[in-house]
Amino acid sequence: MSFFSEERAAELREVFFESAQELLQALNEQGLELEKTSGDAEVVRGIRRTVHTLKGDSAACGYRELSELAHELEDVLQPELAVSAGGALAELVLSAADMFDAMLAAYRGNMQPPKADPLRAMIARLIKNPAAHSLRSELTPAFEWSEYDRLAMEGALTNGQKVYSIALAVDRHCPMRAAGLELILRVLSECGLIISRNPEEIPADGAVDHLEVAIATHLDETAIRSKCSIPTIVENIVVSPWTPAAQATEPSPHDHDVLGIAESHAATAVDVAEELDEVPLESMATAAEPSAKKPRVEFVGAENTLRVDAERIEAVMNLVGELIIGKSMLHQTINEFGQRFPKDPLKHRFSDAISKQSQVLNLLQRSVMKIRMVPVDQLFRRFPRLLRDTAKACGKDVQLVTVGADTDLDKGILDQLAEPLTHLVRNAVDHGIESAEERVKAGKSPQGFVKLSAYHQANHVVIEINDDGRGIDADKVAAKAVECGAIKNEEVTRLTEQQKLELIFESGVSTADEVTEVSGRGVGMDVVRSVITRLKGTVHIVSVPGRGTTFRLTMPLTLAIIKALLFEVGDQHYAIPLNSVVEITRATFDQVHRVDNCEVLQMRDEVVTLARLSRLMPEAHERSITKFFVVVVRMGDKKFGLIVDRLVGEEELVIKAMDDQLVATELVSGASILGDGAVVLILNIPALVERVVYVHLPIRPVPLPASTTGVRVAI
Amino acid sequence: MRKPVRVLVVDDSALMRKLIPQMIEREGSIQVVGTAMDGEFALEKIPDLKPDVITLDLDMPRMDGMETLRKIMRKHPLPTIVVSAHSTEGASATFKALSLGALDFVTKPHDPTTHMDEIAGELVAKIKAAAKSQLVQLPEPQAKKKPKPAMKHGVPPTKVVAIGVSTGGPQALQYVLSQLSADFPGTILIVQHMPEGFTGMFAKRLDETCAIEVKEARSGDLLVPGRVLICPGNRHIKVKHMPLSDVVVLTEGEKVNGHRPSADVLMNSVAHEFGERAIGVLMTGMGEDGAEGLGTIKNCGGLTIAQAEESCVVYGMPRAAIERGHAVRVITLEALANTLQAQCSANRSSRPMLAEATATGD
Repeated sequence: MSFFSEERAAELREVFFESAQELLQALNEQGLELEKTSGDAEVVRGIRRTVHTLKGDSAACGYRELSELAHELEDVLQPELAVSAGGALAELVLSAADMFDAMLAAYRGNMQPPKADPLRAMIARLIKNPAAHSLRSELTPAFEWSEYDRLAMEGALTNGQKVYSIALAVDRHCPMRAAGLELILRVLSECGLIISRNPEEIPADGAVDHLEVAIATHLDETAIRSKCSIPTIVENIVVSPWTPAAQATEPSPHDHDVLGIAESHAATAVDVAEELDEVPLESMATAAEPSAKKPRVEFVGAENTLRVDAERIEAVMNLVGELIIGKSMLHQTINEFGQRFPKDPLKHRFSDAISKQSQVLNLLQRSVMKIRMVPVDQLFRRFPRLLRDTAKACGKDVQLVTVGADTDLDKGILDQLAEPLTHLVRNAVDHGIESAEERVKAGKSPQGFVKLSAYHQANHVVIEINDDGRGIDADKVAAKAVECGAIKNEEVTRLTEQQKLELIFESGVSTADEVTEVSGRGVGMDVVRSVITRLKGTVHIVSVPGRGTTFRLTMPLTLAIIKALLFEVGDQHYAIPLNSVVEITRATFDQVHRVDNCEVLQMRDEVVTLARLSRLMPEAHERSITKFFVVVVRMGDKKFGLIVDRLVGEEELVIKAMDDQLVATELVSGASILGDGAVVLILNIPALVERVVYVHLPIRPVPLPASTTGVRVAI
Repeated sequence: MRKPVRVLVVDDSALMRKLIPQMIEREGSIQVVGTAMDGEFALEKIPDLKPDVITLDLDMPRMDGMETLRKIMRKHPLPTIVVSAHSTEGASATFKALSLGALDFVTKPHDPTTHMDEIAGELVAKIKAAAKSQLVQLPEPQAKKKPKPAMKHGVPPTKVVAIGVSTGGPQALQYVLSQLSADFPGTILIVQHMPEGFTGMFAKRLDETCAIEVKEARSGDLLVPGRVLICPGNRHIKVKHMPLSDVVVLTEGEKVNGHRPSADVLMNSVAHEFGERAIGVLMTGMGEDGAEGLGTIKNCGGLTIAQAEESCVVYGMPRAAIERGHAVRVITLEALANTLQAQCSANRSSRPMLAEATATGD
């Protein structure tokens, strides 16, 4: 019976792939660390541990090629070699990480893993030992005579004979090696008694490059030498007189080497552990660099982490959503009950029960949300490597700093941010940071600086990518935008600097003078914005020419539940995320002015463009109310006012995704269900503003499918 | 039904934390009560989980296996099985661990097609054995800087002791050999089932902690009094009379009883070459290797000893010999060293000195 059933193996492989990814991540980080510290023994040991685990894991899963490669790599990962090899070892580690990654991808796809020959060549170059090896076999014979041989040799010495250890290197060009070896042996036995020889048997193909013999003889050294110097057969001879003291009883020198190294490793490891044990805690805390501390923190996290399928959490989240809807229904019913039977004592018990219920529900919801939260470090940690490679490709020297890596963000959002962030970081290095000469000329340090930071701001997580490069030339962006038709020339003049900058997000706009391999193809920034928008986030640029650029991504903490402001327009309910609301004010139509086809409202000392949501309504009839509410929302750093008829209130909404077939409009980003069972549509503010404010075409009503006709709310 | 053995698996590889429980839990009698990714977590979890046995990886971040082991043994001594990497360095660390009180070790699987079942079986057996074992608290061996006596060739050993041992061997041998004096008059040859690369380290450790000389055997090593030769992994060991002295010969023959080295090979050879001067000892271990060889020694006039059940980690090999009637004496681990010392010292002069007779012949 075999324990290794196929399904078990498959399950195991899944675990392997996942943990291998983590190991590779660690390997990348350690490789960078090695590059920085150039040969720090502790770092090398850490790398070896990682490679070692990868080796064991892959072997256990039967991925022999990967395991063997890891094994070969492990062998080179010696602290001594790291010192002598310098940066080459770090380069090797990083290339190996890429190679492993490619192999893993192949295994995952059930394909043959790619050949690792280039990496092997790197390893071989690093060892540079083959030459030394052959040298050793020719000139430094081991002369490892067994105890019995030595006994015989001693016996010969006491009998007054001379005893020699002789090593003969067979000529590389000797055509018939086996015959040659036989000849050598015959000559040797003419010299005296061969006590021992190594190898004992001569293989038929003569595949032996040197022969060692112990011989008892009456001849002296020179005589033996001249007898054994057989042209074209013997290339090199070592003759050394043997004395009992010549060979210690210890293990052979070769074994000894290996053991010695192993021993010293083990010893250092233990010593270090002991030292750590004795260092007082506070001094450790101060001494430990942040980089050294990080992996520890993360390992702690990893151990307490339960790997759960994202779908399962999704399911729980959905149920919590249903509960919240249920709660508001209950709430409403109890309210009605209270109105109908105001004196019924049951009324209070109902409300007590429901408020208790709400509390628990609140906690439940928060706990479930927390499950989905992961530190942005999971995202940030891949950037050091990316930055290094990009910087290298561009021939620049760039330093990366990350701040706030422990900030939590919804896993779903985090995963999708990888692509846009990669883009922004690449851009920062390729376009943002100038060449070293340029930088020096501008009075900056030759090393560029890119900062990735994350922090919480109210219900948002802000992620910033900041570089200290040349900044973005707004006019150049605008010119490009005109060139590729994203905007008309005459419109440009009306744009503020900021608006010009934001044109960079239009598709086809790139400010790179030249398309490089790294970036500059003009695709990307529009992708960045569309991803961010889809995630209900915003992206904002701050750029100071000559000083640098900052991209600020403001992302919601989670996608599943939002705090929303509910309002009515023409008898219908809508919601917008509360965090985009800056303020709410009352206004009358007398206060509304028309500027440039836009309706604006003077609020204190600023002018806010208004959007009339009623223009979106199918049976649009402009009501003749003179008083209305203006909900001021922020987009980027512009403010817009939404004209609404009535405010309903603030509520937590569980966002239900709507597929494209149901609602074919980007104006709506989701829907939710209210306590009374009514459906409320959550408006997508960026799209809305664009439609209602910017575009001066008549707005077509959005057709809604029949399935929502029973619902009170529609656009 | 008996209560399952509760096991805590400590390993920094997530894969191993999954694989090891799968390997050992197919036996209903073992239950993995928890896993830990490093020593610190292991130490935190031990009081809560109350495992019976721990499997411990030595190569871990934060607190490595060695330190963990030291703390386990200090705070809550538990039978611990080292799950070790198959490498020279792994061997070194493994023996350090054994000297710190780990009960036994297995090498990590490194090729699923051939080894998985074998290793799983080995691990299961060792865990079960460990759960039953009373933890023999050996004093942490001090590396004694002792002058090893010069090799006394020409003086043949009074007796040649062939020891076959497997699971539980490292500890048991440490216990026995450390009690033998440097002037032990016999030669001891040991077959310990252990992978290649581990035996050399094992011998080295023993040599550092025992008065008697211990070395990994090489072909041509002399059988002289006061020395212990341990057969290297992946080789068979035999003895041979040579004109100047008796020597050991290592061969690469087929596996015997699934083992190389095999105790049967050693014992048969010792029986045939040394007859009455042979002593066979079969100690703790799984399987039956050595049982037949012990019979050969007995038939050729030698003394045969089986280790008593209560001191065995696994009683398999001694029992096989006893059941076949091949063991003349059954002796506890505690009494073994004394017995060997007494047996080898007895009749010292009444035996023909084979090597002495031929030494002058050349």
